[in-house]
Amino acid sequence: MASRLLLGLSLTIAVGCGQPFESSPPGAETAQSVPAGVLTIGSVSLNPTREYEVVRPFADFVAANLHDVGIGRGRVVVVGSLNQMIEELREGRVDLLVDSPFPAVFVWQHTDVEPILRRWKRGSDVYRSVIFTRTDSGVQSVDDLAGKIIAFGEPFSTSGFLMPKAALASAGLRLFNYEDPAASIPGDRVGYVFSNDAENTMFWVLKQKVVAGAVNADYFEALAGDRISELRILLTTEAVPRNVVSVRSSLDPKVIQAIEALLLEMHLSDEGRASLEEFEETTRFDPFPGGPDQDLAHILTLLPHVEEDLGVVRSPR
Amino acid sequence: MRLGLKGRFVVFVSAIIITFGVVLTALSVRAQSARLRHELEDRGKLLTTVIAANATDALAKLEVRELRNMISEARDQENVLDAVAFDEDGRVLTDGTVVNPRRHMLISEAALRHATGSEALLVEFDGEAMTVTKPLHLGGQVLGGVRVRYSLAGLAEDQASLARRTAKVGAIFALMGVLAAALLAEAVTRPLNEVIRATRALSEGKPVPRLAVRTADEVGELAEAFNEMTRKLRDTTVSRDYLDRVLETMGECLVVTGPDGTITRVNSAVCSLSGVGEDELLGQNCRDLFRAPEGHMSLLDALGPDGSAYGLETELLARGGEAVPVLISVGAMEENPERARSYVVVAADIGERLRHEQQKDEFVTMIHHEVRAPLTAVRGAIGLLEGGVAGELGERGQELVKIALRNSERMGRLVNDILASRKLDSGRMAFHLEKIEMMPLIEQAIDSTSAYATNHKVRFELKEAVPGSIVRVDPDRMIQVLTNVLSNAVRFSPTDGVVTVKASRRDQMLRVAVSDAGPGIPEDFRNHVFEAFARGEHDDWRHRSGTGLGMSISKGIIEELGGVITFETELGSGTTFFIDIPESV
Repeated sequence: MASRLLLGLSLTIAVGCGQPFESSPPGAETAQSVPAGVLTIGSVSLNPTREYEVVRPFADFVAANLHDVGIGRGRVVVVGSLNQMIEELREGRVDLLVDSPFPAVFVWQHTDVEPILRRWKRGSDVYRSVIFTRTDSGVQSVDDLAGKIIAFGEPFSTSGFLMPKAALASAGLRLFNYEDPAASIPGDRVGYVFSNDAENTMFWVLKQKVVAGAVNADYFEALAGDRISELRILLTTEAVPRNVVSVRSSLDPKVIQAIEALLLEMHLSDEGRASLEEFEETTRFDPFPGGPDQDLAHILTLLPHVEEDLGVVRSPR
Repeated sequence: MRLGLKGRFVVFVSAIIITFGVVLTALSVRAQSARLRHELEDRGKLLTTVIAANATDALAKLEVRELRNMISEARDQENVLDAVAFDEDGRVLTDGTVVNPRRHMLISEAALRHATGSEALLVEFDGEAMTVTKPLHLGGQVLGGVRVRYSLAGLAEDQASLARRTAKVGAIFALMGVLAAALLAEAVTRPLNEVIRATRALSEGKPVPRLAVRTADEVGELAEAFNEMTRKLRDTTVSRDYLDRVLETMGECLVVTGPDGTITRVNSAVCSLSGVGEDELLGQNCRDLFRAPEGHMSLLDALGPDGSAYGLETELLARGGEAVPVLISVGAMEENPERARSYVVVAADIGERLRHEQQKDEFVTMIHHEVRAPLTAVRGAIGLLEGGVAGELGERGQELVKIALRNSERMGRLVNDILASRKLDSGRMAFHLEKIEMMPLIEQAIDSTSAYATNHKVRFELKEAVPGSIVRVDPDRMIQVLTNVLSNAVRFSPTDGVVTVKASRRDQMLRVAVSDAGPGIPEDFRNHVFEAFARGEHDDWRHRSGTGLGMSISKGIIEELGGVITFETELGSGTTFFIDIPESV
């Protein structure tokens, strides 16, 4: 854990010490016609260069369409940890954040940002996780996982790790991370290993390398294939939004309003759709159906179980 | 179409090159196709083996994501159609895609059976592809394996491409070969063509250039031989052009006839002398051109058994009926294997010569009648004066009469010599031959010249004799010769000198040698001793010479008698004349 934190810090410093990743809006407008305002989109990633390349077109598109509210260009700031992002937001150096629900809620809790929209990815607005085991494992419920080991996906994955871990923890189980899937687990705790891949998780369970595994519910059937009959689902988590768009509250309300309006209509134009597709297969943006408070309430209850994990150097996606 | 040597050479060499190229190309394509297939199969097997080796740890740890990445990379390899990693149950773990639709599916039974019992590669061919299965075992436990489906379809394309490339290369080489053959043929035939052109020029009588000898091979030898031949042709005057010019330059008439006398060739001298054109003459018979020599039916009739004749006098019948006297020589020539004879007739116009002969005869006749007869009368009259018929002469008168008499006698000898010389030239000198002993003739000649010798204070010595030797001569003419030689020796002998006479036998000839101790004959006069009126350029000589006709007449007489007259001389020592006459048996 300590080493991961050190790595996260060093990357943050590296990005922080460098010039912000800035970009100008596309088009042939002259300097005189471009407003001076800058919209900064923040992102958390262990791979700042790649992340910058992913976010920059989106930032360009947004900035190019906010001239009416004084925004002339977009800027991207990538940091290596959530704590760094909180710092950036607090200092007003980041205006807009698009991230997974747990980080988004965590930031919401610690800064003056406001969740304004949901981000759909690959056609889905929400996702769930399933915790499963072999039918012949003798495990009938999550409670039977005590003294056993479960495989999660990647450490920063919402569906592969944060949600199932939080769900198990909220069920009263004590989870501890192990490196070795064959490690001996005391009966008062549930050991977990990272398989780093949903497919790994599935095969590890099927091959009894681990007793149980957790994967995104959307992929479970596909991963199980014709061997689904050999599996038993122990728990399916509640649905959570795929991604959350948050804005700094101190930002000009006209700008916030313009951003919201722009993002909500992006999927309606070819140019907008192309930009969305380029932005990690984003389908569209929409308002929280029940409002942010309601729709993120469940996350808020689970958050304490994974706050420690969110402090770990991580990537938002 | 008839091909020349060059064309045949090019076709032959090209055919060899193309055939060789086609066979070589076919063999090469076949060999390379097999090699390509083996290479392709080996590549597929090697690729599968490498993937499997890299996948062992991931398979052992069930790191499917890592396996997926490996298989994904494998699928990106050239010719790889499909690839999967499978577990110990033969179920697909990953096909390298994120979706992985064949997840958990079973591989073929045969492959699974093989993977369970062996670590060796299993290769299954199917159409234009092969599937290579590499089982992975660890510590005697089956982990699973890797299956790669590898396309061999590219092989056919590669083979076709290879065949096309090889064919192109072959075609280029064939073209180069044909070009090389053409150049080679040109190099080989160019000298031959030069020889052909030169030979044609030679046959047409045109100037023949010297052929360049470029190489030391047979062609070079041919050019050298041709040059040598043309040089010899020129040197031996076989050249038609050369011969034509020689014949046309000849002053004599040249007529070539066939065996029957039909004229086949004449030179311009014939046309000029006869006044008849060459076209008209060719095809005529030579009897229409030449009158038959006296005593013969025709010119050919006058030829000897070998077909030749020399010195025939006859007449060339010119246009307009004029007859031109000619002296003819005929030679026979065998031109072909059938030995049919052609005759080469050379005719010299002797009209001028005959006219000169006639003029000479007229001159001699004039001398005979107009000089000799009056001279005889003069000598008679002088004799009468000397005898005192006209009264006693004073001392001075007698002296003058003697001078007159001596000169008239000298003139008489000159006239006689001139007449004798002319008779010899014209062959009209009469010889009354008889067998007679030679020694008495010699002695008689010495006697008759003794007075003359005495006057010159010279004496004769007959040192050697051949008693009883008989010769067949005209005694008077023989004495005339001997007297002439003896008096000649006397004239050139010094005062109180001796003229030695020796007779001897020599090769059935009787030799009479007359030697004097005179000054010897000068070098520049020796070739003119027997010429008429030859008297030498030196004053001493001219003073001693006679009429200048004596030795010429002597030579003519001796030769008519079948002998020869020669001499040996040494300046300051004297001269010896030899008269050789056949001894009569």
